[in-house]
Amino acid sequence: MARKKPSTSKRVKAALSHRSRSRRLSAARSATKLGVTLYSYGGDLHQGFMSLEDCIADVADMGGVGIEILGESHVPDYPNPSARWVKQWFGWMEKYHTKPSAYDLFVDTMFYKKRLLTVDEAVEYLLLDFKLAHRLGFKVLRQQWAPYPADNPADQMWAPYVKSTPAMEVIEKALPYAERYDLKMAVELHSPTQLQSPWMDSCLEFIAKTKTKHFGFTPDMSIFTRRPPRHREAQLFRAGARPEIISYIRKAYQNHLGPEKTVAEVTRMKGNAQELRWASIAGVYHFSDNDPKDLLPLLPYSYHIHGKLWEMTDDLREYSIAYEEVVPVLKEGGFQGYISSEYEGSRVPGDASEQIRRHQLMLRRLLGVRNGR
Amino acid sequence: MSGDHNILEKGFKNVPANGRATGFQLAVKTGYYRGVYANLIEGFEVTVDGTTFQRNQIRLTIGGHTYALDKLADLKHVRWQWLEPAILTVHTPGGLTPGLHDVRVTELLRISYMPVQPSVYSFRRRLTLVK
Repeated sequence: MARKKPSTSKRVKAALSHRSRSRRLSAARSATKLGVTLYSYGGDLHQGFMSLEDCIADVADMGGVGIEILGESHVPDYPNPSARWVKQWFGWMEKYHTKPSAYDLFVDTMFYKKRLLTVDEAVEYLLLDFKLAHRLGFKVLRQQWAPYPADNPADQMWAPYVKSTPAMEVIEKALPYAERYDLKMAVELHSPTQLQSPWMDSCLEFIAKTKTKHFGFTPDMSIFTRRPPRHREAQLFRAGARPEIISYIRKAYQNHLGPEKTVAEVTRMKGNAQELRWASIAGVYHFSDNDPKDLLPLLPYSYHIHGKLWEMTDDLREYSIAYEEVVPVLKEGGFQGYISSEYEGSRVPGDASEQIRRHQLMLRRLLGVRNGR
Repeated sequence: MSGDHNILEKGFKNVPANGRATGFQLAVKTGYYRGVYANLIEGFEVTVDGTTFQRNQIRLTIGGHTYALDKLADLKHVRWQWLEPAILTVHTPGGLTPGLHDVRVTELLRISYMPVQPSVYSFRRRLTLVK
């Protein structure tokens, strides 16, 4: 089934072209920076094998500079850490020569069981994170595009990464606060985001209209996934999923069947709990099917990048994502922020550090970076 | 994920400590990668040695306060911090016999961006109940 891919409108492209040109000119002078999101150390942190400081030290040890955190994971007594802890946070930054790169926040629109948050309520919650991020020295937010219903029901397959009026209103209403706290709301473009889409058009239109420097993107490399990570399929087989069902699911997504129809079909095939769950979420891993070149119009407004990884092979390639195709586009587009390694593989303590190191080395080679600064 | 570490050895006990047990407790850490407001907890299921307990037999303690599972949706500002073990108290007269038990816990969360509701995390661990 062929999908219609609308291209970024000519009007929007024209409005933005002047900024693209000046960005590319300055690209020659700037270097992409390297860092790690501490989300990567989820297993080590959660099971008490590493402290937050240990993670920061590990990132510094592998030559990374940017430290990215999730407020709700890494800040004790979220959203109100003690003054003592905040002082310690800055102490770590100084001790390890690292810098806060991005602060991750979410918009839990289904906060209440019976109704979605109103736009005003969502902004109230965002403000708690804005204040905390500012307090901790962050300038960039890896912000979640608020999960409200898609304007076009046909887009629901790509939810929540879809054009949505309430979600756009959240950005509009939060903008004055982002300005006040000197923060860039860099909405994450996570799989299954379509880079050429009404959603991206609506965001670029908003940027062109407001000329704001406080709203943009965090492209996540998962949008260039070509195949599911091996560890996920291995987990499924261990948990009792049958290879023929998993294989069907992979083909269904490659043929753009989408989560609902895939789940319906697997239900008909009498799939078990593991198989049904995979049927609903497998698309997150390999449904995006984006062309790396489609990132170019977005790079002038991209303030952070999530370097997703699930498995680094022995020859320093990511098993599911063709970084060798994506990094040249980042260089061409003059991306000036951090590429933050986001390891989403094994949560067995001890596994993360080695995989992240491989990833950082691969990035250095592809970027021609010498010291990550 | 098998998440054995999500069920803690420490905290697995009959309650009250003295006198006839009215139930048992165990401590769990979230299977999710961040802490959440407690009202996002849709529920917990507990099965011990093949016996599944009813929702209304289970209470949850977070931050020193104890709630019936059905009351969680009414909360607004209670945080279940990421690293905090939550205590599940299961009401069952006599509690559990001291010894080894096959414990399974399922955590159900309402995570807004997920395509299917609720998000489900399943844990299993063989625990020793001393007293």
